[in-house]
Amino acid sequence: MNTYLVRRLIYKDWYLSQGLFLAALVLGALTLAGIAAAKGTQLAVILGVIILATILIGMGAILMSSMVVERRQQTLPFVMSLPISYLEYTTSKLLGCLFIFLVLWAALLLGMIATILATPWFPHGLIPFTVIMMVEMLVTTCLLAAVSVTTESQGWTIGVAQLGGLGLNAVGFSIVRLHGIKDTIVAPHPHWTPTALAILAIELATMAMSIAVAFYIQSRKRDFV
Amino acid sequence: MDTSIIISQSDGRPMYLQIMEQIKQKVAVGEWPPGEEIPSIRALAVALRVSVITVKRAYLELEREGVILTQHGKGSIVAPDPGLAPRLYDRELEDHLEHAAHIGNLLGLTPDDLADRLRDTSARLTAETLAKEPV
Amino acid sequence: MTPLSVHFTGVSKRYPHFSLDNIDLALPTGSIMGFVGANGAGKSTTIRILMGLVHQDTGAVEVLGHPMPDDQAAAKRDIGFVSEDMRLYEAATLAWHMKFIQSIFPRWDQRYADNLLRRFDLKPQQKIKGLSHGQRVKAALLLALARRPRLLVLDEPTTGLDPVARHEVLAELMAVLTDEDRTIFFSSQNTLDVEQISDQITFIDRGRIIDSANKEIFLDRWRRLRLMLPPDRPLPRLPGVVEIGGSTRLPVLTINQFDPAMVALCQDAGAAVQSIDAMTLEEIFIANVQSRRDHSVAVSETPESVTA
Repeated sequence: MNTYLVRRLIYKDWYLSQGLFLAALVLGALTLAGIAAAKGTQLAVILGVIILATILIGMGAILMSSMVVERRQQTLPFVMSLPISYLEYTTSKLLGCLFIFLVLWAALLLGMIATILATPWFPHGLIPFTVIMMVEMLVTTCLLAAVSVTTESQGWTIGVAQLGGLGLNAVGFSIVRLHGIKDTIVAPHPHWTPTALAILAIELATMAMSIAVAFYIQSRKRDFV
Repeated sequence: MDTSIIISQSDGRPMYLQIMEQIKQKVAVGEWPPGEEIPSIRALAVALRVSVITVKRAYLELEREGVILTQHGKGSIVAPDPGLAPRLYDRELEDHLEHAAHIGNLLGLTPDDLADRLRDTSARLTAETLAKEPV
Repeated sequence: MTPLSVHFTGVSKRYPHFSLDNIDLALPTGSIMGFVGANGAGKSTTIRILMGLVHQDTGAVEVLGHPMPDDQAAAKRDIGFVSEDMRLYEAATLAWHMKFIQSIFPRWDQRYADNLLRRFDLKPQQKIKGLSHGQRVKAALLLALARRPRLLVLDEPTTGLDPVARHEVLAELMAVLTDEDRTIFFSSQNTLDVEQISDQITFIDRGRIIDSANKEIFLDRWRRLRLMLPPDRPLPRLPGVVEIGGSTRLPVLTINQFDPAMVALCQDAGAAVQSIDAMTLEEIFIANVQSRRDHSVAVSETPESVTA
């Protein structure tokens, strides 16, 4: 695989999504500041979380559908004329878009943890749950990437994005009721219970699987067009 | 080397003939003197924006007619023949006479009618040229 | 045998509503091939197969010595591709595109690029979304030309350009051929352009190659013969008559295998030859296509591939 070219393609996608990225970062930072300033009122926290989730899922959807968009905006022939194979192209999309998303995601995750640690009204027991939910968003985005790249269809991508949003709520509600989570969520210190770790492991495995399956499906495709 | 050859796409004749004719005119008039190097086929094609194959054909025909010589691997030159220019003029005259005869036939003129027309035209041209001379 | 930059043998591709059938192409290095066909005839599909973007169902495709589509990444290093449906990134500037291409292709010639910017009247700091259609086409061509690729593959390079821009583009394309190791393959609906600069011409219609020869042979072979027939005489039988028009007394024969000896043949048969007209490439193309679509005229054809 021509890694130099894959990196060039990732750079291209990064360059083109810079504006969006910056906007998401700023919006996220403002939301976190708002949550901190609201002194831990439940309404503020819930609103803040919803906003952050929307930012992340929105960014995720936009980034992951860049391959579909490239086809629609007819810039695909330009990329296809570069000395790359179809596999290298989809690799750059799969890895590149995930990487850009990861940077934003990591920034927001760190921001959230910092907010929890720095402000006195948030119990640090929230941290494992926060991490789990953030990773859940990462999982959703990975699935979205896999679907978008393999189906190359805007319809499917949007559909999965919607399901992902709903799924996130469902998953959040069910996890919060689990024994290993709900007992420790309001504790003053973070508790990494076996349940929490198990959930994380499942999430990471799901991500790895979806990416692997996507790669496999793409490697079987013959045509760019 | 002056490549001020102009090809017209609206001219009914094939491009290679146009090229040939203009080259022959340049030789006849002395713009391209005998023995002088002429542009390579590719260079002329690029300058005229015309297919290489068309220029190649023109050069082949010109060589066949003895107007130019192609030296293997070294490009082409105008044939180093001092009698070339007047001969080209002669051939041009022949071409024009044939064309006039053909049209005369279509019009239904006899050879004598044609000769009369030529005489009248020649006389008129001479008179016009004289009239333009400064007194 | 001159090396071939593009070689198709028996290439076919089947789609639900269209198929490319048994395509043969041979493009010698150092020449230009013009590819002429109506919309939907298969030009774009052929070009995509040439670029390795679509995998053929049968047949072999070799471009610059690389088997396609397997070796497409290597081949594309030396191919400059511009297609009519290609867009650049609207939000970025032309300068960004130039730097991007330069970072990928080592043979980028900045001085030539600057030259082209001047000649095509393009401003590098302008965003693509601010460019007119003609400027976008020229921008895409600049990006392909400045890399000095060994093979240029162009899908409708002059379509939608104003006459002056067309003139400039044709000049630049011809300039490419100063180097006899560089080759151009272009498809066009503009038969005037094809007639002007092509060395080889290929006609495609409904997924099949219907004729392919060097330009001079095309222009030599095709003629319209206007005859005047006396009332009791039948039409003289001539080979290569593709179409018979005009009236019974004044027939007009379209011939695809013209030979000057035919004039004597006609006169012997009692028909007076009013004129022998050359045909433009457009007229040749139309006659060629119509004669194949219309089976009511008995045709004798020799659709051979002739290379220079």
